[in-house]
Amino acid sequence: MKTKSIAASFLSAAMLLGMTACSGGGANSASDTAPAAGNSQAVSSSAAKDAAEKLTVWAWDDTFNVKAANEAKAAYAKIDPNVKVDVVSMAQNDIVAKLNTAFESGNVDGMPNIVLIEDYRIKNYLKSYPGVLSDLSDVTTPDKFMDYKLKTMTQDGKIYGVPFDSGVSCVFYRTDLIEKAGFKQSDMQNLTWDKYIEIGKAVKAKTGKAMISVDPSDLGLIRMMMQSAGKWYVNSDGKADIANNAALKEAVTIYKKMQQEGITITASGWDAGVAAVNESKVATSVNGCWYASSIKKAADQSGKWAIAEFPKMSNVSGSVNSSNLGGASWYVIDKVAGRDTAKDFLSKTFASDTGLLDSLCKDISLVSTYKDASSGKNVNAPDAFFNNQKIYKNWIDWTVNIPAVNYGTSTYDVESKMTEAVQSILKGASIDDTLKNAQTEVEGIVSAAD
Amino acid sequence: MKKKKSLSILKYFFMIIVSFISIFPFLWMIISATNDAREITAVKLTFGTHLVENLRNLFHSDLNFGASLGYSTFIAVITTVLALLISSVAGYGFEIFRSKARDRVFNILLLSMMVPFCALMIPLYRMFGAVGKTGLTGIGLNTLISVIAPYVCTAFLIFFFRQNTKSFPKDILEAARIDGLNETRIFFHMYMPVMKSSYAAGAIITFMSSWNNYLWPLVALQDPQKRTVPLILSAMGSSYTPDYGMIMAGIVIATLPTGFLFFMMQKQFVAGMIGSVK
Repeated sequence: MKTKSIAASFLSAAMLLGMTACSGGGANSASDTAPAAGNSQAVSSSAAKDAAEKLTVWAWDDTFNVKAANEAKAAYAKIDPNVKVDVVSMAQNDIVAKLNTAFESGNVDGMPNIVLIEDYRIKNYLKSYPGVLSDLSDVTTPDKFMDYKLKTMTQDGKIYGVPFDSGVSCVFYRTDLIEKAGFKQSDMQNLTWDKYIEIGKAVKAKTGKAMISVDPSDLGLIRMMMQSAGKWYVNSDGKADIANNAALKEAVTIYKKMQQEGITITASGWDAGVAAVNESKVATSVNGCWYASSIKKAADQSGKWAIAEFPKMSNVSGSVNSSNLGGASWYVIDKVAGRDTAKDFLSKTFASDTGLLDSLCKDISLVSTYKDASSGKNVNAPDAFFNNQKIYKNWIDWTVNIPAVNYGTSTYDVESKMTEAVQSILKGASIDDTLKNAQTEVEGIVSAAD
Repeated sequence: MKKKKSLSILKYFFMIIVSFISIFPFLWMIISATNDAREITAVKLTFGTHLVENLRNLFHSDLNFGASLGYSTFIAVITTVLALLISSVAGYGFEIFRSKARDRVFNILLLSMMVPFCALMIPLYRMFGAVGKTGLTGIGLNTLISVIAPYVCTAFLIFFFRQNTKSFPKDILEAARIDGLNETRIFFHMYMPVMKSSYAAGAIITFMSSWNNYLWPLVALQDPQKRTVPLILSAMGSSYTPDYGMIMAGIVIATLPTGFLFFMMQKQFVAGMIGSVK
């Protein structure tokens, strides 16, 4: 009797575990599924016509884009004091889970008027849920914004978003360590990856520090290299482009070479990467411009940092000294009451207000993709942490040259497949064979999302 | 004798390792709550001096952590009370009253445990959305009821109560019936007091899962003023440069209610899980 009841309690405990395990995994699977099923559901269409006095904006970083939305709110209050704007801060994954549930069920009650969506994710929403996001072609003037950014949000010739931040890539480097290794700051200009590795070897030999930290679960570096040559995991038609992608192959080769030459240290996870930089374990970090805020956390390193253009791949034709990592844009959900007010809000703030964009440069280090923002006072100011370099001006100048690519519908799903492939290449598998196999799998992922 | 001693040393050694593995994350969490973000990313394992600062940041952030504590408590308490009442009645009924279809119905109920919540989420969302549109706004999306209702009657809890009812002495039942007590009163006056420890175990399990529940409150609640504790913690962790010290302080506070409840009812919980009747 007793054994039986013990068995029963174990069974119940196991089931309980099963239940919690399921609910934990739910967030992921919910954000991964995106079949185009329910976009034709009846949504109260009359609601969109009501002139709303209240707008809701969703964004995810209190120190960055939420703060930006709040400054835009303050600016808009001077234009139209009757509109009450509510800025809500939420985790990005939470926003994605909520959008997916609402779009999939065709019920947009409680959704915000304006939402920030990452550029890597937007194509999926535009393709899977046509009509859910408003056409903003009359808000976003194409020749006012940089091309690479507009391409991410354009579908069938219509522009669906208002660009927010640039994720322009650069090399953040420690001038003191580079000089100890026998190189000057001029050596860091117009870099190629070959030169970068050469400097890295000298840094390792003279200072004992690694040149760069790599995260086995994050292929950001490879993505940046690909985009510097105008390539991506998918081609311009959105079809898988792995096996015959010369830029990808060269990027993986460089990635492997850096590790073979011993100029890297492994930092698993985002925080370990930041820690490596903050604790002077690495001489450089190759990242999007937004990484500056993480570097600045180590106040004792002030004055020791500088930035340089992204290295190009000398063996790939078309590779330039400019690329991008991340970035997001503002979108309007069409069926939520107050659409026209939301469009007006965006058109008078992020889509045109250079004064706002310039003060955001100072307050949140925003690198805008709005062309006229480059003449702003704060954009042209030197930054003390970076040894009085005009970093914002540099970033904006480099943003102009970022090659435009089609991010396709499933960057993150493809990335998780490619992470495995790259790991097996690092362990010695043949690049050609591995990429060929990956091609088939990525084709499957991409066609499932279409 | 000697063999016995070395065996027990081995046993204690094993237990020390296992308890260290279980306690370490908690210890780390508490230590982290006293350090700032940079010390945490650098894996500092000693107590720091930032606890007060972290707590101040936590309660003064725009995300309104204090209000979410109240909101989570309210949801968890109501869910627990309703779930215990409804599921224990069901579990009791399944065990005490006999009918031909009883076990078949019960098996179907158990099968429903195999359906993951993720599969139910979109239908549930549409259902609550549709109910809200009919004018019954009090029970649509973004209301307390939409968060509580799906959890007030779970197959697991019914199964748990039925299992424990098996050890409920049926003689008491017969005696009570002969004495003329009606079935409702038997349940409330005979069954409930005897099954105290099962209720305690059920309460801990339900309170904990409701307190920690993440996915459904996330999609069902849209008003930022109505966010539960896990949602607030998730929002805090989402910035590009998260303040881990503040988040850890928040997690320590979020762990306290379940921890407190467990230690208060530890004895009954263990008794309830192995189905004994006092």
